[in-house]
Formats: sequence, structure tokens, C-alpha cells
Amino acid sequence: MTTLSNNDIAHAIYLVSKEKTHAELREVNSKVIKFLVRRRLLSKSPNILERLDKIINYESEKIIVKVFSARKLTEEMKRELTTFLGKRYKVKEVVLAETLDEKLLGGVKIEINDEIIDLTAKNKIKKLQEHLIRKI
Amino acid sequence: MSTNFIVENLKKEIDNFSSQIKAEKVGHVLEVFDGIAKVSGLSDIKSSEMVTFPNGETGVALNLEEDTVGVIIFDDFSKIREGDEVKATGKILEVPVSDNIIGRVVNALGVEIDGKGVIKADKTYPIEKVAPGVITRLSVDKPVATGIKVIDAIIPIGRGQRELIIGDRQTGKTAIAVDTILNQKGQNMICVYVSIGQKDSKLRKIQTRLEKGGAMAYTVIVSAGSSEPAPLSYIAPYTGVSIAEYFMDQGKDVLIIYDDLSKHAVAYREISLLLRRPPGREAFPGDVFYLHSRLLERACRKNQEYGGGSITALPIVETQSGDVTAYIPTNVISITDGQIFLETDLFYKGIRPAVNVGLSVSRVGSKAQIKAMKKVAGTLKLDLAQYRELEAFSQFGSDLDNATKQQLERGKRAVEVLKQPQYAPMAVERQVAVLYALTKGYLDDVPVDRIKEFEEGLINYTENKTKKFYKEVMETSMWTDAGEAELKKAIEEYKSNFN
Repeated sequence: MTTLSNNDIAHAIYLVSKEKTHAELREVNSKVIKFLVRRRLLSKSPNILERLDKIINYESEKIIVKVFSARKLTEEMKRELTTFLGKRYKVKEVVLAETLDEKLLGGVKIEINDEIIDLTAKNKIKKLQEHLIRKI
Repeated sequence: MSTNFIVENLKKEIDNFSSQIKAEKVGHVLEVFDGIAKVSGLSDIKSSEMVTFPNGETGVALNLEEDTVGVIIFDDFSKIREGDEVKATGKILEVPVSDNIIGRVVNALGVEIDGKGVIKADKTYPIEKVAPGVITRLSVDKPVATGIKVIDAIIPIGRGQRELIIGDRQTGKTAIAVDTILNQKGQNMICVYVSIGQKDSKLRKIQTRLEKGGAMAYTVIVSAGSSEPAPLSYIAPYTGVSIAEYFMDQGKDVLIIYDDLSKHAVAYREISLLLRRPPGREAFPGDVFYLHSRLLERACRKNQEYGGGSITALPIVETQSGDVTAYIPTNVISITDGQIFLETDLFYKGIRPAVNVGLSVSRVGSKAQIKAMKKVAGTLKLDLAQYRELEAFSQFGSDLDNATKQQLERGKRAVEVLKQPQYAPMAVERQVAVLYALTKGYLDDVPVDRIKEFEEGLINYTENKTKKFYKEVMETSMWTDAGEAELKKAIEEYKSNFN
């Protein structure tokens, strides 16, 4: 018997729930939960849900961007960021999830799935430190 | 140094500094145990790609699974915590190489460990590389002079060959390897000694011996000690062969010794089991054959069009109670082009090197011998095989005919001549002189216990008396009738004075 990966299950859930009405979805959900219980996969449900989230985002051409910054971003900066990321990742919708972190000193750090674009002052100082130590 | 100078220098460095903006692939540590980390994320990572941990530890991605990546860690893993950020470097694991590495002791990552300062490297070589193809290769026909009579005469090794040294513990496997390195002085050969899972004291002993013999001038030692993590033992032979390839690419001949591949397989088994790969025979993973075949296949002799260098590999495998049918010995025997089989019984009988001539073989054979050696050693293997057969047979009865008795006597002398002390490699022209005397029957009436004395005297005498012959063998490797006559005359003269 081939083993089902979390991705396979998440993909199957997505396909059966796609374009379903509210009432139909309730039935689908109950069947999914029964399936998970029967196959003893309930403990894996957080991972399956995470995968499902990624699939839904991918299919609906949406990305969730975690933005870490030392100060709150202005509306204009957010707009600029949204346009830039929309073009870079070729998606229709960009959702920004902001987090404030004073330790970053300045600039922003952008996290999309497992990709990081680090434009913070803290990172720059760290790189400068590495550069100086290597040279010496 | 003035403060101004420091400030100016710092200013200059800061001016020169530019940080590039780039998107980095990252993951997060899910769990860490026994030198292994399970990491989430790192979606586009390649197999064998290097990763870095927050405190500067390095690792390599080995298991690429759907949700996680299995990473082997090369440094102290005790500071790595769950949730730590892991960055992909985009580089396949590579080692720094340069000509300055000769004479140094480095670890499995190519970093010096002998305290003689940083090795400045001009290049890096990937540790995993596809072996050279058929088009680039040349057949093996140039000898590697090991300086050990029994090997050079009966089991010759050629440049580009892979010859396994196999035997139980304490049978002299490393001794053969070290003697071979010592004998490469002036032979235009670079040596790489890879020590895998050995005691540091043993390595130190070998290093001192090589230094004493002047062999460190052309030798590199790659060490992954027994106290170091298994991932380092796993990559050490690949590091060694990458260093060897650096020299081969310059058209040089390289000799590489893997001491030993049994421990390498054990280290790989440990890593594989920790990575939850399914175990097979003797709990080794299914790809343990490929582990060694891809390593040993990198030994080759390239043709002139592709640089003309060569890598000769002498892997060592340790057996348990002489069992050559265990998993790793059978694998490596089938990969290599022959084996030198060492036996405990012979060792304790005083036959050293304890080579079992019957079970040892070189598949390249006499093609890798100089003409002179081919001529004198041609019948030696047969003589010895017949001797062993008759020796067993003669134990049952005392009535033996003269021909049999003569063969037994010749055999006893052949065994005696092939004995050789450790760290005393013999030049090939001397070997030719001694073996000629043996195979032509000049030793038949010399008492067995005086063979060594006769041999030493003969070498000294012939070296003085037959300078032309020695020069001929040394320079042209040829065997001529004139040379033979000169040698024959000298042996007869010496023998008539020997008492």
C-alpha cells in the first residue's frame, strides 16, 4: 500500500471542497474528519491544514507576506510593497501580516513561505561584521 | 601601528563593503539529535547542498523529503536549538585545494589541524563528482613501485588501479600503505592518506614516520578521527579524492589510501539509520555499494588529451576473523581491480608482510610491471602455489621424490626471500637482482636461515659489480641479454665467496 503524504491529502481535500455550497461543505468536512480518524491521521492535521492553506493560496493566486519592521509602515510604503511583491511573485493578491520588532533597528524583513528578503539595519551590520572579521 | 592607521583602514574597508540584496531560502529546525537536524522549509534545496546554522555551524542536506529536509551537521550540534533559522547556501559541499596543502594534515572539510597555520587556497573542488568517462581514460600499464617485494613481483599495482588491502586487525594493512608512501620518494607521485575513524595516536605515529622518512614532502593527510562526528568520517574519503583530483588535473600521478573503508561504511550506516533510511543486510543501507563504487571509480588514469594524470587507490578493509564473505569486504572486492589479502596465521608464523599469495590477485597483472621484473618474477607465483600444495601433501608422507623435494626447498627459500621488515621498502632494481637469483636456483643450496644474510650481501655485491645492469633497469626498465650475463656472472662470483 502506498503511503499518503500530507500534500496528497491536502490536495484531495481541496479538490472535493472546491466550488461547494455551505451545506455541501459541512458534509465534506465531516467525511474528511472521519477519514482522518479511520486512517489515524488526526495528529497530522495541523500539517495537512498548513499544506491546504498553501494550496488554496496558490490556486487563488494569493500570497501571505510576513513583514517585520522596527517602525510601523506608512500606507504608501505598504502600497509600494504590495505592488512590488505582486509583480515579483506574479500573484493577484498580496496580504501583508505586519510585526513590529525594535531589535531590527531599521528597514524591513520580508518573509514569504520559506524565502526571506532581509533589508534590516541589523542584518546589514551583521554582514559588515562578517566582512571585517574575514578581512582581518 | 598607529590609531590613525587603524581608523583609516576601517574606513576603507567600510567604503569597500557592499551588501547585495538577495532573497534567501530559509528553513527552521524541527529537531536535532546525534549530529542530525530535521529542518522544515528550504523548498528548493539540492541534495548535498551546504546549509548554515545561526552560530556558524555547517551542514549538508542529505534527505530531501516532502515536508522536511534531513541535514547532517559537521560541527558541534549542542548549540543548535529547535526553531533556529537554517539558511541554504546554494553551494554543493566543496573543499579548498591548493599546492600548499602538500605536507599538511587537514580535517574532512579541508581545514588544517596540524597547527602550522592557515592553508591559502586558490580553488575549491566539489567533494562529489561524477567519475571520468571512458573516453578520457587510458588503460593501466605503468607501475606503482611499492618497494615491497611480494607485491611488486606477484601482485603488481599499476598507476590508476584500485587495489584493496584486506585482512584482520593487526595484520599489517596500514604498514603496507605507509611503506608504499615511503617508497614514492623520487617517483614523481603525490600521496594522499585518508584516515577514517582511526585513533589520533595512530595517526600521529604515521605522520611522524612519514616525516622521518621525508615522505611528508609529497603527502597530504586527511583525517576524520574516531572522536569526531560520523558525518565527517562519511565525507573524509570524498575530500581526499577531491584533493587527489586537483593534482591529477595538473597531470600528476597521485596515490590515495583510504584507511579504512569498513569504518567509513559504519559511519554511513550510523547516519543512514539516524535519517530513518531503511536498513538492509548487516543494517547497512541499500546504497552502501554505491557509496564505495562512486568513490573508487574516481581512481583512473587519464589519457594525454585530458591531462595524463592518474589516481591510484589503495582502499583498506578490515575483516572479522578472516571472513571475506561479509557485506563490505565482498562489495569492495568486487569494485576493486584486485586485492592483497593479509592473514593472521602467516603474520604469527613470522611471514611478514603476511600476504596470502594464493588469495591475493591483481587484475591488471604483469601489464603493470617493468620488463625486467616481468622476466624474473614470471614463474614465482606458480612456484609458490605449487609449494603450498606440496607442503600440505608432504605432511602425510616422508618418501618424496627428488623433484618434489627440490620444489619444496625452492618454495621455502622463496617465502624467506619475500619476507621484508616494516619501513624498509626496496628499490625495484635490487628486487630484480634478488628474484633473479631465486628463480634461477642460486639460492637452492643456501641454508634457509642464512637467506637474509645472503640477500643483503648479494645486493651490496651486485650493486658494486653490475653498475651497468642496475643503471639499465633503473633508467630503461629493460632486460637485455648483456645485462643478464653481467648479473649472472656477479651472482656466481658472490656465491663462490659466500660461506
